[in-house]
Amino acid sequence: MSELKRTQLYDVHVAAGATMVDFGGWEMPIEYPSKIVAEHLYTRHACGIFDVSHMGRILVEGPERVAFLQHVLSSNVMALDLNQSQYAIIPNERGGAVDDAYLYRFEEDRFLLVVNAANTDKDLAHLNEQLKGYDAKMTVITGDWAAIAVQGPKSKEILQILSGGEAVTEPVKNALNTLQFEGRTVRVAKTGYTGEPLGFEVYIESAEAAWLWNRLIELGAKPAGLGARDTLRLEACLPLYGHDMGDDPEGKEIPIFAVPLAKFAVSFSEQKGDFIGREPLEKQFAAFKRIMNRDFSDLTGLPRRIMPITLVDKGVMRAGMPVYKGEKQIGFVTSGTMVPYYRHEGEGLQTVILEETAKRAIGLAIVDSDTIEDDEVQVDVRGKKLRAVIPPYHMRVDAPPFARPIIYRPDEEDNAVGSGDRAPQALELIRKAAENHAWRQEQCVNLIPSEMTPSRAVRLLCASDPSFRYAEHRKIKSFYDADVFYYQGTEFIDQVEQLLVEEMRAFLGCAEVETRCISGQMSNTAVFSALVDWKNRLDRKHDAKRLGYVMNNHIVKGGHLSAQPMGALHDYIAIDPVTERHALVNFPVCKDNIYKIDVEETKKAIEQYKPELIIFGKSMVLHKEPVAAIRKFVDEMGLNTTIMYDMAHVLGLIGDYFQKPFEEGAEIVTGSTHKTFFGPQRGVVGVNYKKGELKYGLWETIESRAFPGSVSNHHLGTQLGLLMAAYEMNQFKAEYQKAVVSNAKSFAKSLKAAGLDVAGDPANDYTETHQVIVSVGYGTGPEVAMRLERNNIICNYQATPEEEGFTASGALRMGVNEMTRFGFGPEEFDKLAQILADCILRGKEVKEDIMKLREGYTEMKYCFTEEQVAGALSELAKKTGL
Amino acid sequence: MNYPAELKYSKDHEWVKMEGDVAVIGISDFAQDALGDVVFVNLPQEGDAVTAGTPFGDVESVKAVSDLVCPVTGTICAVNEDLADSPENLNSDPYGAWIIKVQGVSGQEELLDAAAYEAFCAEEG
Repeated sequence: MSELKRTQLYDVHVAAGATMVDFGGWEMPIEYPSKIVAEHLYTRHACGIFDVSHMGRILVEGPERVAFLQHVLSSNVMALDLNQSQYAIIPNERGGAVDDAYLYRFEEDRFLLVVNAANTDKDLAHLNEQLKGYDAKMTVITGDWAAIAVQGPKSKEILQILSGGEAVTEPVKNALNTLQFEGRTVRVAKTGYTGEPLGFEVYIESAEAAWLWNRLIELGAKPAGLGARDTLRLEACLPLYGHDMGDDPEGKEIPIFAVPLAKFAVSFSEQKGDFIGREPLEKQFAAFKRIMNRDFSDLTGLPRRIMPITLVDKGVMRAGMPVYKGEKQIGFVTSGTMVPYYRHEGEGLQTVILEETAKRAIGLAIVDSDTIEDDEVQVDVRGKKLRAVIPPYHMRVDAPPFARPIIYRPDEEDNAVGSGDRAPQALELIRKAAENHAWRQEQCVNLIPSEMTPSRAVRLLCASDPSFRYAEHRKIKSFYDADVFYYQGTEFIDQVEQLLVEEMRAFLGCAEVETRCISGQMSNTAVFSALVDWKNRLDRKHDAKRLGYVMNNHIVKGGHLSAQPMGALHDYIAIDPVTERHALVNFPVCKDNIYKIDVEETKKAIEQYKPELIIFGKSMVLHKEPVAAIRKFVDEMGLNTTIMYDMAHVLGLIGDYFQKPFEEGAEIVTGSTHKTFFGPQRGVVGVNYKKGELKYGLWETIESRAFPGSVSNHHLGTQLGLLMAAYEMNQFKAEYQKAVVSNAKSFAKSLKAAGLDVAGDPANDYTETHQVIVSVGYGTGPEVAMRLERNNIICNYQATPEEEGFTASGALRMGVNEMTRFGFGPEEFDKLAQILADCILRGKEVKEDIMKLREGYTEMKYCFTEEQVAGALSELAKKTGL
Repeated sequence: MNYPAELKYSKDHEWVKMEGDVAVIGISDFAQDALGDVVFVNLPQEGDAVTAGTPFGDVESVKAVSDLVCPVTGTICAVNEDLADSPENLNSDPYGAWIIKVQGVSGQEELLDAAAYEAFCAEEG
């Protein structure tokens, strides 16, 4: 074994008793005395560390580095921003893979290409051949920097100890960062080959490699060898070059599009020009699209694909074993073994990972492209045909911090709803509704910031007659913009809508208001649709161009769903042809307060991207949005940017105690009427465009995208209720808004004093809105929120800007708006803070305390309570039978 | 590594213990360590005839599959069915987790005593 290469950590592995093997010319640990199964499981429930210093590391620099990489890689290098990385394949002229690789951009003007150890020499020969004619340079730095993969749910916590608390990377896949670990410079990537939702690869100077390895073990990580690395990657369905990529078991070259990851790794952007393999890859892609649409008439372009496979019978399948469907051989296993997993019980968010483990025989196979999910197949295991199935995947990572094994089970038949007498169910429904109403209205402390109980007047009006009616109407130019209704019997409804528009205009402080949208999300959809329509109004003979660039708050930094491509922006945002991503840019946030927009950095981003649309507003909102500063900057720059503020959460705070969006320079405000506002659940759009202005046309487009664009029946009962809510708001807003903001500040301070970790800036009492955010510990948000619910405290768990997603969330989001309306003041919120601390920090059952606290506060404030009103309401209740 | 003195060993790393005229057969500590985590054992059936020097089943570890080579000739009279559900017993207790019992033993491979087998393993490993 003398000619084998050794990594910087060789001695450490030998000292740990590792079994060393030849892996691609390197002497590497296949397992430690702990052995593969334990190393696999430890990585899944805590943190495994892997020496990946054998991987080839090539620095690419020089003026034509991008052009060179665009030519030799399958991916779009132009899409790679600073501190991001991407998966790429090195294609050959036939559309096969020379290797697969990861491309990192730690520095503005240099790329790091990481390739498979066994392929490094072959890759370099190929790349050097291609380098001719490019003003670029490649340097192999494999020996200069060691690489350690730190993978598993505890990885982030461990690395954050080394970074002294600093966030290791942004909480998104492929993010990079350069930082210090106890005084040593490291480059960290949120990447890995285990499928772990929390996993990092750390690069450190060779001399410090052993130090880092040992420090990681001291902090609770355990070494894992190549054996576990293989079972982990197999469970995650990640391809291994030489098995699931390269040549198949018959020696035939596997086309790149046969590998599921190809659809992420291959770009046909114009930026890439005539890159190596482009033409065959385009043919494969055309075949791939046909196959995905289940058109199997011609499979020649892509005869076989790599798919996951699970053994149903007992046994183990290995690479090279033939796969059959009936009598016909359809392919081969390309990777296969027995993989351990933790059993789990319970469903949904209540799923508990048990200590008990089990094993399953899983693999990847290259099979005829007309094979589909759930197909039953057989694997020839040394002459015996064992039953197997094609599952959709072996594991999912969409519920961090854990990777969740998916054990194949065939679809269960739906329980058919029986026939028979429904009267008992009807009765049961009514009883349960009454119980639920009393629970939420009399026994619970409601702290969900996006909810509000409306007054009795609002609720009664919502249920009265117009709630069953239609009242479609449209302005007609021939009648000098008079509204024409399509149905009769709507005079009252017409008056209500006009009065509502007047009240909302006064409240928002703007020129025009649309009240027919029935949700905040719909308001945004109508606005985005109108912006696209307005943009394309002079050319209707082509497909409409979408919006781009759009600037918004990132969803993980508190941005609202309804201003994201996954929400209302979905059909209205362009794809940037250079990056092939949504033409979206996020507000940069302050380093010392991630809940606050960094105005100076935002200006730089505006200068760079010149956004068509800026959307302020978020769902985790502690601060005012810098509307005035950005308006001023946009005007100075002379940009034709539309500034919109989605005030869903803070609509009811518009005024002296929070923000006046139109005075600050917003053109469009959208919102929902039931969070801090007093209404039933609806949406609203206000604009400040005046008749005669060019953009008044945009306003008219918004109206038509509301009706008939988004809604036909606009829920006339709740429109009536909303008018009452608007009267209440305009009458009581000064005292209500003042109370909400001061209660939130006071509540935040009490929570802090009670020992809880309150987010936000202490300089302004942690909040300037109705919201208070409390950190309860990474990944524990859902459990704590459920515990609180058992104790009649209703709030919602929320991922903070540092967390990966809702199942990993470690924060609670609370709003004081509803309880303020029920009369809570600083004293009550202080009592509540103490009770919360008892329940959260000390696990105390506090249901009795909460019910007692709530008892005295069931009367609605900030609404009309005069005798006359009460009498009229009783009359209405009698007439409507409610 | 453990090499109990009361057992005989084959060069294929199986151990044999004679209980009267019945040969009890398993894999050695050295074998289980080299295999790594055992995840599946392909067991033969009671009544099967076995021949010295030929496979009677196989054992799958995470890494690879290995044949179980029978050190004796005869007829299988018992199979340790527990190994179907708990193959890891071969790792945790290689000399307790017997695999088969063979009766009517009519021939055998060259078998080593503990000391000779230990020396043989030292050479191999």
